[in-house]
Amino acid sequence: MVRLVTHNLLACHAKDCNTNNFPLVFQNVQLEIREAEFNPGFIQSFLPKIEWNALVKTAQELGDTSLPIDQPEMIDDELLKNLHHVLFEIHIVEGAMICPNCKHNYPISDGIPNMLLAEHEIA
Amino acid sequence: MRTRYLVAFAQSHSDFRLPELQSISELHDFHIHLPDEPDTSRPFMVVELEDEKHAVILAKRCILIKSIYEFYAQGETYDEVHKMNRSNRHLWEKYIPNTSFKFNVTGFNHTIPQRRQRDVIENFAYMDFRGKIDMKNPEITMACFEEYECRQAPANGLPRKRCEDDGSFKEIFFGRLIVEGTARQLVGVFDVKKRAYFGNTSMEAEISLLMANQTLASPGKLIYDPFMGTGSMAYPIAYFGALVFGSDIDGRQMRGKGKPPGVIRAATQYGVASKIIDLCTFDVTHNPWRCGELFDAIITDPPYGVRAGAKRLGRKKELSEEKKALYFQHSQSPRPDDQPYIPPTKPYELSNLATDLVLLARYLLKPGGRLVFFLPTVTDEYQEVDIHTMMCEGMEVIANSLQDFGSWGRRLITIRKTSNNKYLPPAYRPVAGEAENAHVPAHRDFREKYFQGFNKDGDSLAA
Ligand SMILES: C[S@@+](CC[C@H](N)C(=O)[O-])C[C@H]1O[C@@H](n2cnc3c(N)ncnc32)[C@H](O)[C@@H]1O
Ligand SMILES: [Zn+2]
Repeated sequence: MVRLVTHNLLACHAKDCNTNNFPLVFQNVQLEIREAEFNPGFIQSFLPKIEWNALVKTAQELGDTSLPIDQPEMIDDELLKNLHHVLFEIHIVEGAMICPNCKHNYPISDGIPNMLLAEHEIA
Repeated sequence: MRTRYLVAFAQSHSDFRLPELQSISELHDFHIHLPDEPDTSRPFMVVELEDEKHAVILAKRCILIKSIYEFYAQGETYDEVHKMNRSNRHLWEKYIPNTSFKFNVTGFNHTIPQRRQRDVIENFAYMDFRGKIDMKNPEITMACFEEYECRQAPANGLPRKRCEDDGSFKEIFFGRLIVEGTARQLVGVFDVKKRAYFGNTSMEAEISLLMANQTLASPGKLIYDPFMGTGSMAYPIAYFGALVFGSDIDGRQMRGKGKPPGVIRAATQYGVASKIIDLCTFDVTHNPWRCGELFDAIITDPPYGVRAGAKRLGRKKELSEEKKALYFQHSQSPRPDDQPYIPPTKPYELSNLATDLVLLARYLLKPGGRLVFFLPTVTDEYQEVDIHTMMCEGMEVIANSLQDFGSWGRRLITIRKTSNNKYLPPAYRPVAGEAENAHVPAHRDFREKYFQGFNKDGDSLAA
């Protein structure tokens, strides 16, 4: 799994890694597209939590260019549909997420990312 | 206009009845007017609602409701009942001319002999219903309950032997059936034994459902379990329409053996796999959440050490520099099977965990969001203040229900985030230099007490 909505909410949390620790960069990923139930109300209300630039950048790296670079002020139906697809229907099943700052490698297997830190990485 | 309704409860988890009624009426945005001093130990309760539809909503969603009736009368004697019932004629006179009906007379904690059941029915003859009696498909069902004191100790609620003490009831209730509760069947639907994936930490279905109702789970909500394990509470929550995030320090709990991960297999069985947004492996005390105010509710069964010990990353003793270097190397060459490096863990004392959990919830919940979790405690030592020792500004306890196992118990706590302020994540540090005479909550060192049988012999191995 690892959907992009999740990816957008996770930052590297290794000790002293406080800047440039988001978004994590996907590496060697294996994607799956799975249809999900469209819930426009949820997307609208959750959008303030989403880091737009990180979402667009990550979607592009995964080959989806449906979202505009600048966050539009008006949200129309088409945008909602595209957001739905990007946030909920793209699943990263295998691969890793790499911290852009400290390079910590968070491996993903069977859709579950391992975000455990090593001993020296905890505060 | 408020109308009175008689609620008949299922005979289990009596301490959870009121919180459930209150949660479901809050979820559906209607008011339920409860008695001034509700006695939740009793199987019947007269409540007031503004609309019959609300009774139907409650019966559809409350796990502990057996059925709901339009209330006509109650009393300690039949004289009182008939008097009140006559005075409420306006409620039932529309059924006089031409409505098919049936009458049920039932004892609670007691079996009423057939003969006397007939007598009871005959004594309602003054209602003068002219419609035909229809035992199979009546338009209305009238119900008369005699509530008996539970005599011997059948905590299991079995009826007493035969007809002994017939007529020595405590109270009588009378009304017209509005709706049978349909949510109770979910207890069977979510039966752990029939689940595609479960483990020894799985939470029983009925309690999981009661917890789910405390979260106000419904479509459009996002709910988080930070001690996900085998995901028992995720399934009812998703079934009620909410989206779910789960995390656990031990990925194997969520994965099980085989593919896809066990939690996904079980969710698929219930038709809710797409509602599981994601599962992540991490220590909740070292979590990667980028920001707060994400969730409508947090639901969890924290590791209280009996079956699944609480732990956190780290070690009791610091490592030497060489060892550290070794571990560093190891952690640099991860394998992709969720075991790149298994970091050491140290015990996590329950009262610290509980305090941290409330702080974490205050950070991660949206304003108005709820934290629903279990707190094990030693029943005899339990005091109300136990919960208050872990509370913080901006959070308020709104329900606290005991599930009693004898020498120990656990409390289902529901806490609401009342504040709109933004809060920082907790620091996860044990409270330094606690005052010597500070209150020691009964759940402190629960694990040790559990294994010592709470200094008693006996039924401490209830789990
Ligand atoms: C009582 S079990 C929860 C059981 C779960 N409700 C189920 O249905 O299986 C507690 C879980 O917490 C996990 N755990 C313990 N310490 C943790 C920590 N510091 N962070 C995250 N999870 C932890 C354990 O691995 C265990 O799966
Ligand atoms: Zn980092």
